[in-house]
Amino acid sequence: MNEALFHNPTPFEIDLQAAFAGRAKATGAQAAAFERFAKLGFPNRRIEGWKWSDFNGALRKLTPANDAEAQADIAASEFAALNPLEFRIINGRIELPQGELADGLRYGVVDPVAAIPELERHAIATLNVAMTRKALGIEIGEDAPDRPILIRHINTHTAFAFTQTLMRILVNARVKLIETYEGEGSGFYSHLFHMVVRDGAQFHRTVVHQTGADQIVNTVCAAKIDADAVFNQTSLSTGSRLSRHETLVHLWAQGGSAEINSAALVCDDCHSDFTTHVVHKAPHCRTRQLHKGVARDHGRNVFQGKFKVEREAQKTDAKMTANALLLSDTAEANHKPELEIYADDVECAHGSTCGALDADALFYLRQRGLDEAAARALLVEAFLGEVLDGIDDERLAEVFRNKVADWLVYE
Amino acid sequence: MLKIENLHTTVGGNEILKGLSLDVPAGEVHAIMGPNGSGKSTLSYTVAGRDGYEATDGAVMLEEANILGLAPDARAAKGLFLSFQHPMEIPGVQTMTFIRTALNAQRRARGETDVSAADFIRLIREKAKLVGLDDAKLKRPFNVGFSGGEKKRMEMLQLAIFEPAFAIMDETDSGLDIDALKMVGDVVNALRGPERGFLIITHYQRLLHYIKPDRVHVLAGGRIVKSGAAGLAAELEKSGYEQFIEAA
Repeated sequence: MNEALFHNPTPFEIDLQAAFAGRAKATGAQAAAFERFAKLGFPNRRIEGWKWSDFNGALRKLTPANDAEAQADIAASEFAALNPLEFRIINGRIELPQGELADGLRYGVVDPVAAIPELERHAIATLNVAMTRKALGIEIGEDAPDRPILIRHINTHTAFAFTQTLMRILVNARVKLIETYEGEGSGFYSHLFHMVVRDGAQFHRTVVHQTGADQIVNTVCAAKIDADAVFNQTSLSTGSRLSRHETLVHLWAQGGSAEINSAALVCDDCHSDFTTHVVHKAPHCRTRQLHKGVARDHGRNVFQGKFKVEREAQKTDAKMTANALLLSDTAEANHKPELEIYADDVECAHGSTCGALDADALFYLRQRGLDEAAARALLVEAFLGEVLDGIDDERLAEVFRNKVADWLVYE
Repeated sequence: MLKIENLHTTVGGNEILKGLSLDVPAGEVHAIMGPNGSGKSTLSYTVAGRDGYEATDGAVMLEEANILGLAPDARAAKGLFLSFQHPMEIPGVQTMTFIRTALNAQRRARGETDVSAADFIRLIREKAKLVGLDDAKLKRPFNVGFSGGEKKRMEMLQLAIFEPAFAIMDETDSGLDIDALKMVGDVVNALRGPERGFLIITHYQRLLHYIKPDRVHVLAGGRIVKSGAAGLAAELEKSGYEQFIEAA
């Protein structure tokens, strides 16, 4: 390993380099990825797609301690009532569920991906490819048991962890996946989720980010959607020191559809970033996206949504809406909706709004007897309602509603 | 019951109410009529306690207590109800949930117990029938996509459920057809009683065909400039407000 790989390295970069150098089994592809990363560096605010989420700045201040093996006392998941098949990734270590594999369901610890071409310029994803030792692999077929899959990403340490999930949803399969980001750790966590949804399959992903306030998190979900397949994702984040959940969807073949909904509730100094990119590559595909962000105190809520409609993707039907609600003068919302369209027979639209609570509505509610806190809470819940209403599983929706209610207690 | 004494209200630095006095004893229905811009809505908002409607002088006594210093919800808990001229839409909140939340908030503030879900459903179904709203509307988000008339029915539904001690109806008749006007009359008349008062704010006398007021007042230039018996409304309809605008 070249000692001068990083220019003027930070303590974090020195640790990273030492960790990589200490690995016995890194492949040539991983070494190449590490060098590519060293050239790219962590994304900073001068890079357009990262101007509101400065990982370089945040990680510069991070001095990881050597507690990567910290033991975590893991409580039962709040989704336990759904009887999920539970995977845990604790401080980067994968724990598989106990028990026999069922028909239509295969999982295990597998080799990580060597490269993801569409993420080559994504510095953190590139670093992830270099650093990840083993990945969680899951394959689900049509005859798999009707049981949700839960992946709990639990970070309790102050170090860094890089992990991957590789998932294949086979033809006509139906999958419900719940992913939670938890733990009070104050390190850096990078997760790369690489998946394909085969013809006619339906994939519902629910993401809940509710970590300790000091965690720095970047996740990238890169999904390839085949013909008549469905990618449906609902996310809820309360943010943390710096959190960015990215979703990159390729609608590869005719009839594919994506529905991507997200809600952010940020307070104190927390930061939530939902960045998505949907690429329509084939005709007759459909995308619906709705983002709702609520911020108070010095909370910051970033939304970047992009639809790219390629020349062949005629009859594309794509709509994006992002609404921000600011509950204090010091809270911030940054939205960047983008359409890039090369086909000529498409229906695409986007809209973005930002505002405070409606004074008329507040007065109305208070005249009806609700005190100020209750009236404000009701309006915030109402603001988020559309995202919550989009969750078709009532038990899941209930967990979401409770989280919103908990957040509002401190409003 | 509701006694307003020398009320001065400033909105955005402009004095709109300039020494308004009015006394509606328990058991009576009074009407306030007046031209546009005379301060009718300012009066209702000041009494209900809306931010930005600053009472700089005077008092609003509801059952012997000055309510001017109270929060809007505390006034509601004391039994003050305002039927809004332009009721709000609240997307994302089911109508039944909202009304039950409001009812229980008022009851709790008065030290009463919550109404049970079963009792509430019985209550709201009964009252919905009275105001001509079908059950499906009760499950929809509050007022979202409702017509102007339906929103006014929703105000009357809440009036019927809350059974407030005192109700101010701010241009409830505007935008209503004859059937809906009659419904408003039926709801108010059913609630009339020795312990309850109403203040009906209107431009026209047509609602007063269905609700016979005990007194009619003319509001112009931020003051009550004339008061009389029910017959005053008909007189105004003939002669218009011009004489009062000049006088004010």
